[in-house]
Amino acid sequence: MRAMIRKEFRELARDRRTVGLLVGMPLLLLVIFGYAANFYVDSVETAVVGPQASQLADTLPDVFDVTTTAPSDGQDAARDLLRDDEVDVAFVTGDATTLALVDGSNLFAAQSAVAAIKASGADLDLEVLYNPDLTTAWVMVPAIIGLILTFIGTIITSIGLVREREAGTLEQLAVMPIAPSTVILGKITPYFLLAALDMVIVTVLGMVLFDVPFNGSVLTFALGAAIFLFVVLGIGVFISTISKTAGQAIQSAFFVLLPQILLSGMIFPLEAMAAGVRWIGYLLPLTYFTKISQGVMLRGAPLSSLWVSFAVLTVMAVVIFTAATLRFRRDLAPERRSTGAAAESGDDTPGDDTPGDDTSSNDTSSNDNSSNDNSSNDNSNDDNPNDDAARTTGDVA
Amino acid sequence: MSRATGPVVEARGVSRRFGTFTAVDDVTMHVEPGEVVGLLGANGAGKTTLMRMLLGLLPTSAGAARMLGGPPNRARRKRLGYVPQNLGLYTDMTLTENLEFVAGSYGTPVPALPDEIAGYARTLVGAMPLGAQRQAAFCAALSHAPEAVLLDEPTSGVDALARARLWDTIREQSDAGVGVLVTTHYMQEAQQCDRLLLMSHGRLVAQGSEADVVGDTRACAVRTDDWAAAFSALNAARLPVILDGRAVRVADVDLDDVRATLARAGLEADVEAVPATIEERMLVLARAAG
Repeated sequence: MRAMIRKEFRELARDRRTVGLLVGMPLLLLVIFGYAANFYVDSVETAVVGPQASQLADTLPDVFDVTTTAPSDGQDAARDLLRDDEVDVAFVTGDATTLALVDGSNLFAAQSAVAAIKASGADLDLEVLYNPDLTTAWVMVPAIIGLILTFIGTIITSIGLVREREAGTLEQLAVMPIAPSTVILGKITPYFLLAALDMVIVTVLGMVLFDVPFNGSVLTFALGAAIFLFVVLGIGVFISTISKTAGQAIQSAFFVLLPQILLSGMIFPLEAMAAGVRWIGYLLPLTYFTKISQGVMLRGAPLSSLWVSFAVLTVMAVVIFTAATLRFRRDLAPERRSTGAAAESGDDTPGDDTPGDDTSSNDTSSNDNSSNDNSSNDNSNDDNPNDDAARTTGDVA
Repeated sequence: MSRATGPVVEARGVSRRFGTFTAVDDVTMHVEPGEVVGLLGANGAGKTTLMRMLLGLLPTSAGAARMLGGPPNRARRKRLGYVPQNLGLYTDMTLTENLEFVAGSYGTPVPALPDEIAGYARTLVGAMPLGAQRQAAFCAALSHAPEAVLLDEPTSGVDALARARLWDTIREQSDAGVGVLVTTHYMQEAQQCDRLLLMSHGRLVAQGSEADVVGDTRACAVRTDDWAAAFSALNAARLPVILDGRAVRVADVDLDDVRATLARAGLEADVEAVPATIEERMLVLARAAG
């Protein structure tokens, strides 16, 4: 049994991805749950409008972080601020009783705000907009839509691409007279369509089962989803270029998926996270898609008020998709690279363009390319036992 | 479409290094139209790496790989057929679906199935016997009437009958003017080639007919009743011994050395010098460099 245990450790140590999972995952979870797992929002962005705005702003409890004070504005302006997600709470002064407007689409901030208003005992009218009953499902369903798109885009797409590599058909595709861009587009179009179909199903089911409203423009929503899909499909293509097997692709996709679930604001509110963790959330595409889907579905927010999220996702889509397809292209059209490399014999860096697998530098030991690559290439001849069963070759030391 | 008149594939001083390891070292070779060229060599000799460079699947570190009169590119690859060792078929699709995909990609009609595999039209390729899979891969690779065909170990793992059929197909192609480059381990197959190239440790060490490749390498044929003991004794002496059926042969070693080794082991045997086979030549080369 000791031999077995030692063998297992040796294999594990060689598999950097699994070591990463073993070491990185506990750290990630610890950090996330330590710093990010907090449902209580202790600082709610607040606007105060109307004639007595300044006076009221001074008397509000600490939880209300007044970012906008506009004595000349009225209720309509306050509602716009909420719809555009500029603030989570708006107090409208001027009438006999002050009106408190709360953005219910930002669930945890809204809960904090409502609790604080009720605790203060102040005499004011309270109106929760967009999600009057503060139903969790209403904010969850738009986020889940993004999660499903992420799932299909990263895991399913990367498996689909890695399968070609595993089966050796990628090489056949490279030999065929198909343009690399055709291969890539032909590969991802089905996943794009399937993801879109899935999204429609989940959206409709969410509306039917949980009465989630769809207040905004379907077109805006579809545009956001399409851009987001390019981001996640790009991630999927990228994962496939750094994975040799479906198992590796799933492991890598897991690294991408888990932070998105925990840090995109889908489960834990971004506002409640420690600043050190929150910035990770702002790097994740799902964060921005969730803002768009919640904005459109619940608040009926127009494109103009969501432009920041659209812009960030567009940049991400262009960068990631381009990088991923360029990387993928290397496997399909090596002669493009060779034109320069072939002219000068000395510039062939070890670790680059290895036979049959351009990606080995990322997973297994990248420093022993010579032996490794040779085995992945010519040694595939090995497993043909010699022709005549009785013919044996002697010691070839 | 004009057929190439020059070589269908050509390597001019081609090398390929992976880090410090040189997989292919300054190889110059070519295949003419209508010619079947066998590429021989032990495992790791660089056969597949050379073939991948000829196809443009792998950049060269030095030298130039050419196909159909120019550097490998998409337009030229359209006139070329390739059967990789792993066949490159989709095992989760049926034979017909695979051929439809290939035909669609080349913009050619779906080829008719050869009689031997016609019964598998609706079978998943993964469920077909290996021999039939190889025939299917041939069918796919030849469906667009290529001018050059590159076959990497085309008959490994198939039975003798299926292998004979595949060679019929190869011959049909070369008779029609197609240039064929085929890597193989099997010596009977090497004998069916018009010309042989022998690689060892990345270098092209011999070429021409079987006799050219073997050169003046000799072998000792050992005839004895106790062939097992003779094999063990010679192997223990670290001589390049080969067991061919029950005949013991030693490549490129002095007759007296063999006799002395056998005598020390107390074995009586009749030892005779004979011309070496290609396999023995390969064994000698592998030992020389290893």
